Amino acid sequence: MELQWPLIIFTTLLAWSCGVFATQGALALKGEGREVQLPALIASVALLAVSGVAVFFHLQHWERIFNGFGHITSGITQELIAIVVFVVVAVVYFAMLRKSEDGGTVPQWLAVAAIAISVVLAVVSAHSYMMAARPAWDTAVWPLAMLLAGGAAGALTVMAMLAAKGGESKVGALTSVVLAAASAVASVAMVAVWQASAGSFADVGYHFDPTSPTSALVDAAAETNVLSGDLAPLVWLGVVVVGALAPLACAVLAQKKGGKSWLALGATGAACAVVGAVCLRVVFYELGLSVFMFY
Amino acid sequence: MTHYAIATDLNRCVGCLACSVACKALNGVPVGNFWNKTLRIGPNPINEGDVFPNVEMYFLTVQCQHCENPACVQVCPTEASHVLEDGTVQIDKSKCIGCQFCAMACPYGVRYLNEEERVVEKCTLCEQRISQGELPACVAQCGGRARFFGDLDKGVDSFEAPWVVDVTEGDPSYEKGQQTRITLKECVQEYTEADIHHLPNAGNDPAFVYVLRNRTWQGGE
Repeated sequence: MELQWPLIIFTTLLAWSCGVFATQGALALKGEGREVQLPALIASVALLAVSGVAVFFHLQHWERIFNGFGHITSGITQELIAIVVFVVVAVVYFAMLRKSEDGGTVPQWLAVAAIAISVVLAVVSAHSYMMAARPAWDTAVWPLAMLLAGGAAGALTVMAMLAAKGGESKVGALTSVVLAAASAVASVAMVAVWQASAGSFADVGYHFDPTSPTSALVDAAAETNVLSGDLAPLVWLGVVVVGALAPLACAVLAQKKGGKSWLALGATGAACAVVGAVCLRVVFYELGLSVFMFY
Repeated sequence: MTHYAIATDLNRCVGCLACSVACKALNGVPVGNFWNKTLRIGPNPINEGDVFPNVEMYFLTVQCQHCENPACVQVCPTEASHVLEDGTVQIDKSKCIGCQFCAMACPYGVRYLNEEERVVEKCTLCEQRISQGELPACVAQCGGRARFFGDLDKGVDSFEAPWVVDVTEGDPSYEKGQQTRITLKECVQEYTEADIHHLPNAGNDPAFVYVLRNRTWQGGE
């Protein structure tokens, strides 16, 4: 399948936005990092807004979105509902922050709501791509990978912002390490699922399409060989080294050093997590082959 | 209930591509796009390890399968893709926002984005013809009389194809040509339940039927 760049940018930034919002919710739960609450909220909403602009570039007739939009079985409709709820929670979060005396405290229930809607939005967004027609996409590892990579990028971003403000947070540091580690495991699991997906495609032996006489025979095993095929450099370097290992290394190192080190290491780790997320999506689309891919 | 579909006797299909040409001519399908295709499956060994001449092949006609549980309809956010009362899957182009999730959700890759109109298109089963009692163009023009159109609820045996019109007697009109038909049961060689196949089912339950005797169906069901 052709790379759908608007959707790649949309899902990457959306997951990142969820990661930032969930992390600040975790900090608020523990009463840490008050000075970063408002900047983090602005960053989260800004990321969501840019992702929303990006996704409009994918729609061929965006002016028709109110023309019957709302079919509830559609993943896109479910995504929109989750985004609306996310925005509502963010607005309430903003109001509570402004209302609080120190400008950085929200009620516990709101902190939990921020974490919950962030997880729900990332999972719902990823779930809309889980289609039986595309075996490499139809795996529960995909929403996990999207959720956790966004979580890692978000946690590292918040920690870098907090360090820039001169603050520290134990729970933020721990969240960053745990999410970076979980994201690394999920990304590697996604690669393993792709590698093992070859047997899920229809195999008709020799075949020929008279409307495309120069096309090579479809070889599902070669197409899905992400470990040593054409996509291997992107998978090993982009997904595994930059996307999985680098953010984890940055988080562990920053936790060890503490203090100001989070600024450089957090920012570097977040950037790596985002680049890795983009690489993961590029491979995702490259492997978006139909069960019956001979037409 | 009605569920219109096409049954193709693959032992009769000669791969002439008349179905593809008829479809393109009748439906104005853009250059480079197809609402139906005829693939050659094989030559494959008859038994494992066999080499030429112990090989077999058949032609497989592929298009929208007008599924019982179409994934394309499920994922469409505006219900532009919908199921009509006659069981066919159609696209209301005025509702389509061009998100192309339906094209992603189709297991057979038969949907595409019309670059000019910026909406998704696919086989309509010639709705403009079947709604007034005519046969789809691919069935009407089939060079091997391999394709039959009908209602699945009435059984595949009742599916119809055009039949020879004797213009030397009686009414030689176009209408007579349109109405002179033969059923699948009358036209094709006997077949058993084991000879009936469908394209691989990814939970969408494809409605189109393929009859293939004495050869191995490739690609799973």
